[in-house]
Amino acid sequence: MDGTGDAQQMSNSVLGARSLGKTFANGSVVALEGATFDIRPGSFVSLVGPSGCGKSTLLRLIAGLIERTSGQVSVHGTDVSGPRTDVAMMFQKATLLDWRTAIENVLLPTEMARSVTKDDQKHAAELLKLVGLEEFLFAFPSQLSGGMQQRVALARLLQTGADVLLLDEPFGALDEFTRERLNVELMRIVGEVKATTLFVTHNIAEAIFLADQVFVMTPRPGRIAATIDVPFERPRPLSLQTSPEFNTLVAEVRDVLGDDH
Amino acid sequence: MAVSDGISPPRRIGLTMPRRRLLTHAVIFLVLVGLWEIGSRAGWLDPLFYPRPSNILRSFWLIYVQNGNVWFHLYATLGLVFAGFVAGSILGVGLGALVGFQPLVRRFIKPYVIVLEATPRIAVAPLLIAALGFGAPSKIAIIMLVCFFAPFINTLSGVVNVSEDRLELFNSLGAGKMQVLRKLVLPEALPVIMAGERLALTAALSGALVAEFIQRDQGIGSLILIYTRNLNMASAFACIFTLTIIGFLIFRGMEWIDNRIAFWNTEAGMARVGTKRALAFRGAHG
Repeated sequence: MDGTGDAQQMSNSVLGARSLGKTFANGSVVALEGATFDIRPGSFVSLVGPSGCGKSTLLRLIAGLIERTSGQVSVHGTDVSGPRTDVAMMFQKATLLDWRTAIENVLLPTEMARSVTKDDQKHAAELLKLVGLEEFLFAFPSQLSGGMQQRVALARLLQTGADVLLLDEPFGALDEFTRERLNVELMRIVGEVKATTLFVTHNIAEAIFLADQVFVMTPRPGRIAATIDVPFERPRPLSLQTSPEFNTLVAEVRDVLGDDH
Repeated sequence: MAVSDGISPPRRIGLTMPRRRLLTHAVIFLVLVGLWEIGSRAGWLDPLFYPRPSNILRSFWLIYVQNGNVWFHLYATLGLVFAGFVAGSILGVGLGALVGFQPLVRRFIKPYVIVLEATPRIAVAPLLIAALGFGAPSKIAIIMLVCFFAPFINTLSGVVNVSEDRLELFNSLGAGKMQVLRKLVLPEALPVIMAGERLALTAALSGALVAEFIQRDQGIGSLILIYTRNLNMASAFACIFTLTIIGFLIFRGMEWIDNRIAFWNTEAGMARVGTKRALAFRGAHG
């Protein structure tokens, strides 16, 4: 690895990694190996691959939730050494607090940093409106459907103010129709707030449909096997998924994944 | 680690029943009481051990109004229950939380919890009296002993079993230890802790009775003992039914408190609090 050139490039990218690796169980399990990439500001990147390919591990390394065993990872040119305020993560489960109303859940990240002001509350209410929940500001999680709970989690993600958003199969537990609708809204919303987004999924079509760039990942050891650019204009209609160009990309991803998938 | 039950869905007795069901229940109850009365008068039931309902009613009048002697004992028992319950459950919740937050202690405590769980706590009562002597301190110690365990084990498991997903969320938000404790662990454990408190309060009443059975100086327990010795079964029954009413009031009272504290477990609670917070928000934002 050539030090100076890489370091220079990394400091310009919003999110970058060099030979990033993670092993578990004293090195006997290699979860991720040699991940190297630079992500352009404001772009949407999908990580796709089968279970065990290291996509969740990569996300958690960037979020600072686990420590790397080798390589480098940086956000806005500074090394990731733990959770930070310019990076926020959304999980497969909504992970809301049952004893808080929707708006109180959205305000949680703010409470971690300082005491909540009236403006913060107004901002949280606006975010809930952005995700289509203006009627449910004071509903408790158990009063909301699974899709609505994920909308609250999305609003909470945006409330952090982070411009690097990490989404770990955020709609994976929802039914097909709800997931498709939320995906379309997600594209609109992250476009509006101009965030850089990393989106983990094991659905190839979903990965391509949402992203500017797809990282195709393969297991044993987990690594990024290919990076595929997605050229389609935005906004993208759902019908894009039936076009020949789209299916060519699907085939390309499938090719990288091999017979395993 | 087994969590003591008591968290089962809140049951409503009587008040929310439809009027016709209530009427049916009243009729059945009156028929049963009538049969008892008739059986006792006809000599099918030995009136010495099964006093007539009418006599029990008269005893209620006697001990509450005419003689009024039950009040002193009632206050004595309730005072004990209250003191022992508060002390025992504070100790239980405190130790439970302390142990829950000490990974090292937690790892080695399980065998002791199992031993404690398997031993009937009340068996230790005579030892406590031997150590502390007759009087209020040993009685309170007995009650503390019987109502320590449920809050202890429930608090411990509530603290230990914090949702991994939520913990990861808090970590990703860079939460400090105190923030995790105040905004996650305590609220999440609260319903389980309250379930422990409910069991503890019921146990406290039984503990008080045992303490009074042993010491026989004052309280409803010793009163039941004295009336039974004098073969005044009607008054003994009046005391027992007094305890039934107290037990019921305790159950309903705890249920009420539980609904206030863990409001998010019932639709009604969420509706109430949600409306209140919406109003406060609109008040603040015009």
